[in-house]
Amino acid sequence: MRRKTTQHALLYAGVVLTCAILVFPIYWLVVTALSEPSQLRQLPPSFWPAEPRWGVFGQIMAERPILLWLGNSALAAIGAVTISMIVSVLAGYSLSRFRVRGGQSLGLFILTAKMLPATLLVIPLFGIFRNLELIGSLWSIILAHATLIIPFTTWMLKGYFDTIPRELEQAAMVDGCSPLGALVRVILPVSAPGLAATALYGFVLSWSDYAYARTFLTNAQGNWTANLGITTMKGEYISNWSDISAASILVALPILAIYLFLERYLVGGLTAGAEK
Amino acid sequence: MAGIRIDSVTKSYGGLAVLKAFSLDIADGEFVVLVGPSGCGKSTMLKILAGLEEASSGKISIGDRDVTDLAPGDRDIAMVFQNYALYPHLTVARNMGFGLKMRGTDAGEIDRRVNEAAKILGIDHLLERRPRALSGGQRQRVALGRAIVREPQAFLMDEPLSNLDAKLRVHTRAEISALHKRLRVTTIYVTHDQTEAMTMADRIVIMKDGVIQQIAAPDVMFREPANLFVAGFIGSPGMNFLKAKAEAKGGGATAKLFGHDVTLPVANGGALAGKDIVVGLRPEHIAAGPGQVSFTVAPRLIESLGSEQYVYVDLPEEHRREASAGGDDETRRTSLIARLINPEPRPPEETLTLSFDPARLHVFDAASGEAIR
Repeated sequence: MRRKTTQHALLYAGVVLTCAILVFPIYWLVVTALSEPSQLRQLPPSFWPAEPRWGVFGQIMAERPILLWLGNSALAAIGAVTISMIVSVLAGYSLSRFRVRGGQSLGLFILTAKMLPATLLVIPLFGIFRNLELIGSLWSIILAHATLIIPFTTWMLKGYFDTIPRELEQAAMVDGCSPLGALVRVILPVSAPGLAATALYGFVLSWSDYAYARTFLTNAQGNWTANLGITTMKGEYISNWSDISAASILVALPILAIYLFLERYLVGGLTAGAEK
Repeated sequence: MAGIRIDSVTKSYGGLAVLKAFSLDIADGEFVVLVGPSGCGKSTMLKILAGLEEASSGKISIGDRDVTDLAPGDRDIAMVFQNYALYPHLTVARNMGFGLKMRGTDAGEIDRRVNEAAKILGIDHLLERRPRALSGGQRQRVALGRAIVREPQAFLMDEPLSNLDAKLRVHTRAEISALHKRLRVTTIYVTHDQTEAMTMADRIVIMKDGVIQQIAAPDVMFREPANLFVAGFIGSPGMNFLKAKAEAKGGGATAKLFGHDVTLPVANGGALAGKDIVVGLRPEHIAAGPGQVSFTVAPRLIESLGSEQYVYVDLPEEHRREASAGGDDETRRTSLIARLINPEPRPPEETLTLSFDPARLHVFDAASGEAIR
């Protein structure tokens, strides 16, 4: 009994410590955003500002085109996720269901693309987009993000489709569906949790990109994404970290909202393979 | 409804042949059961019939139509799967109506047919539920309902009872048979359970290693098995096999069994002289007490089921067949099982006199395994 209590205490201590490590940077971001810039470097640091600057969010939205940046980030993420999902649903389903010569090697080859660092692809992609006259266009980062998202989501969805019994699409085909019809009418609705988890992963990857946006969109201010826009708030000699933190919070909010909205699907999606 | 003709269908995966020249004619309205051990090719044949797998060669016709190269949806068949394969995101009603919707049937007609099938199966109160809210037996009925509403040329059933518990399986088995009598739709039913095959089939097709071993009505298959495999597979417990040598005697043939010269029930006994044979004796054809051929044994084990007893006896060494690689179960090879109906209770250590009627014996060629009559 006593041993069990000790085990529980250690477990809870571990959980609290892990949460503290994860949550502290977010907490400090909020403290920084709400503090006067002059208070940021004081020692000892203040763990909550005496007079929080709640007006900072309205102020920076008035000073900077944050909504435009958020809109551009959303367009880029939605575009990249849409393309990625179409490609990776078909690719993942094929890898899961069809046995073709070299299919397994092809699957692994797709995964190796994920192993390449994004920065390695920046220069060749820049060359390609310049030839296609896409530099400065949102299409450049939509396509670039898709190259990052597709390899991983293809494997994620392959894993999900593997857990769905083949008899489901066989039943649909006996009922009169074509193979593609069975995918659309039966397999995809059944895979909703997996699709939600995969789409969210792609969305976050696109939303948090900086390297591609910095490379392809620097000279097109109207197409700046949120991450690129925020970096322009950093001055050469003086940086207002409170404003930058406030802008960062605004940029993080949509992702947080989507996580909360999709949470019930995500739990199902990420554990679906565990039941077999 | 229509008959089905399967003509020399083969299926190979690379060098592995899983179906070898499978041919079968199924009459309109017939209930045919494909039975055999795991890996014998019965489910593969059913999937080829459904169009879910492609045959390596051969031809399949349903009614007058050659369907060999048609997509599953164009064959006008309905299939019931082992795990039911209900669409989890659709209600029972929409599951059942899905096939009709795919064929462009109008909504009113779909409703009418779904309601009618649901009434037949007693699931009309479940129509708005989703599959996850149903018990195993209810799901099974929905799967049957999905097949019925289509009014197809044939039903294909792939071990539809194997996920049910023993009691429900017996109940549903009877219901499927009753449903077949009512609808008279040609049905091909796959199972590895010989009891299902015996109780449901008009004809049984028994398979081993992709080859048909025998096609016959259940009673014929039980009484006149074509070979050792069929004799051992059909019946529960399976037939006892005793190694022996045939000898000619007075125009007939005899074999020494348990120390007695026993006349074998074969037509041309003279031709068997000196031949190695296997004698088959069904457990239920052995009686307690003296009879035409009697022998005394010390039972190794007695299992009592109340109304009957299974008596396990060690076979004398001279009657044991050689162990075959990956073949018979060792216990069956070295044991004789007697199934005694309404037996007297007896202590297991007591010796026991058993007997059999030689006319009930089955004789097989030891080399080929084929029955000799």
